[in-house]
Amino acid sequence: MISCTEFIPSYSLFFSWLDETAGHDKVLEYWKYISDNYLDMLENAVREKGIFGCWEYWKHSLNEEAADFVQELYLNEDGTGKFSIDMRYCPSKGRLLEYSHFTPYYDYCSHCPALYPPMLERYGLRGIADMDRVDEAACGETYYMDNPPAPEIAAAGWKAALEELATGEGITGSLTEK
Amino acid sequence: MLHLRMDRKASDNVYLHKDFHNAFNLAIQYLTDNYGEEGVRDYLRYFTRNYYGPLKADLLERGLVAIEEHYRKIYEIEGGDVTIERSDDPEELVITVRVCPAVEHIRKLGSKLAPNYEWSTSLVHETLCEDTPWRAEFSGWDPQTGASIQRFVRR
Repeated sequence: MISCTEFIPSYSLFFSWLDETAGHDKVLEYWKYISDNYLDMLENAVREKGIFGCWEYWKHSLNEEAADFVQELYLNEDGTGKFSIDMRYCPSKGRLLEYSHFTPYYDYCSHCPALYPPMLERYGLRGIADMDRVDEAACGETYYMDNPPAPEIAAAGWKAALEELATGEGITGSLTEK
Repeated sequence: MLHLRMDRKASDNVYLHKDFHNAFNLAIQYLTDNYGEEGVRDYLRYFTRNYYGPLKADLLERGLVAIEEHYRKIYEIEGGDVTIERSDDPEELVITVRVCPAVEHIRKLGSKLAPNYEWSTSLVHETLCEDTPWRAEFSGWDPQTGASIQRFVRR
């Protein structure tokens, strides 16, 4: 069995294999396939709770991946807002940089902006990635919900965010009028 | 406006993201659909030769204890229903998997197991044993539970 703790090298080597076998375009095709088929958890969360779904999804993933990060959500009651991740040390790229016995895929970090923003755009989320420091396993991404989603989605996200503020373990935050 | 903030250091959590098993399963499915069975085989050999280079070197230096230690560490982290046994024969190692944690998690997520998913064990072991004094055997595969018997013996 290939352990889930060995997935990142298997992923990186899969990109390398695809590139060597069929070219970089085929790597991009694969990322589109993942974006269309593997993001169910994120897609369902955003479909139900709007931008709060981003908070929920990355909270789960980044904690299980033992990332070194800050994530923040600014949410208005109408469902508009901003979600950001400041990845101080990416556990995936960080691991790849630590391996010396094989070469990580040269374009590994491009898979994140290829996967998430195209899918989230379908739900009204505009994404901006900061990739300037990926060689140090650091990056950032920010998503904006510029226009209010359907009222029931805004209400579900607002309710979940209030619960998170009240009971979320290790969560800080505030509720203000503006 | 509501503001939430979460600040975590790597040391705050244990690295165990089992959803990655599903991502790997998806890669096998994609390979099968787009590159055929030979594509799956070719990639798994490529992965093993690149990633498991140090494990293979350890196998050649210390023998089957290298694979035994590798899997004891992995199953300690991943769980599952697994027995790792050394017989009186120092040149034999048997790993009996009754419930594979990877297959268990993929099933839990409601995903379909990719065809030939078991090659991620059987073919990886075969490739690992290439040009070594050992060979790998694989039997009893059950795609529902991921059960299998994995045996390493002297050639």
